[in-house]
Amino acid sequence: MPLQLNLLHEEISQERQRKRDPLKLSMYVAAGLAGLLALNYLWCAYRKLSIKAHLSAIERDWSKAEPQVTEAQKRAEQLNGIISTTMTLDQFIDNRFFWAPMLEKISRCVTPNLQITNLDGLIEDQSKTITISLEGTAAGREPRAVAEDFRQMLLEQVGKEQPAVKVEFKALEDLDTLISVGGNNVPAAHFIVSVSLNPESKAPASGPGERKSKSKKEES
Amino acid sequence: MNKEQIKKIILGAFGVIGLLYVYFAFFLGPLNKSRYSMAGRMAELQNKLISSKAEIANVARLEANARAATARYDALLAFYPEGAPIAWFPPRIRMFFSNQQIDKSSARLEGTTGFTGKELSSWNKYSWIIDLPQSDFGTLGRALAALENSEPLLSVTRLRIHATTEDPEFQQVSLTALTIIGKK
Repeated sequence: MPLQLNLLHEEISQERQRKRDPLKLSMYVAAGLAGLLALNYLWCAYRKLSIKAHLSAIERDWSKAEPQVTEAQKRAEQLNGIISTTMTLDQFIDNRFFWAPMLEKISRCVTPNLQITNLDGLIEDQSKTITISLEGTAAGREPRAVAEDFRQMLLEQVGKEQPAVKVEFKALEDLDTLISVGGNNVPAAHFIVSVSLNPESKAPASGPGERKSKSKKEES
Repeated sequence: MNKEQIKKIILGAFGVIGLLYVYFAFFLGPLNKSRYSMAGRMAELQNKLISSKAEIANVARLEANARAATARYDALLAFYPEGAPIAWFPPRIRMFFSNQQIDKSSARLEGTTGFTGKELSSWNKYSWIIDLPQSDFGTLGRALAALENSEPLLSVTRLRIHATTEDPEFQQVSLTALTIIGKK
């Protein structure tokens, strides 16, 4: 085997050291990394630009739609206002109490030997309770019975549509004077009957209290 | 590795860290921040656009549904003439009762109040006292029925009938009527 002598050993090792210089290597790595980062940056910038273009298109669409939406919102508010107002007015119209049918019912109960001199009807603002006060004179052999018949008839007539009606005497007193009915002078009585009803309330369920009062009436 | 090389490696590592910091802090960070804000704004506008389309469609549907209510509202509003009610209501009532064979009648304003509720904020409540000094019961009943049927926004809240001793055929009548009239 022939003997080989490396006379350039130092030069070769220096050359190797130069090639393995860490600073140089790190510079290469840094340059590579910088290149990658630059590419990443360009990619992100491209994405941003595409989003910007998309955003400006949407903004254009929105600027066109916004006045329409505002107008639609205003119109919706107006329409809802009209609907609720109409509903409230309709409720007022439907919940009115009609006096004419009530007067008709009262007139049906008035017999020739009974005269109503005063009628005062009132609808209470808060409770919507209707109270009618009827003042008059009943005449007959038994004027109190005539007045009671009137009360019963009124209760029956009004109670057909308003089961929760109350018809009560507020006053019933005999008069000293005699009244001529059909040519005969008969005693008379002055009465005040109060009718109270609430069209909004439902008919009360028949309880034991009512049965008691009925049996009392029957007894009397 | 000798000392010199270790120093260079540490220096290089510092350089790379500095480069990364500068890149993320001054380049990529602001770019991403603005991109995210744009994406957020875009999503918000897209949602608004979608909801606005739905809202416009809803209004169109509401418009169709509210046609009857609108017509009724206009009819109720047009029920009474324009101008101050004190100017036209008493003559209107006088004319009405005159047509109902009750010649003597008068109406006077008792009071006006507004509504507290939002629904009737553009309407007022007027309270009138209507006096019929000479009316017989039957005619009054018919006139009252006609009044209640022809004036839907009128409600009689008090009715007083008093028989006069001078003329037993006739009664003195006083009505308190409430009307709801739109502000025009």
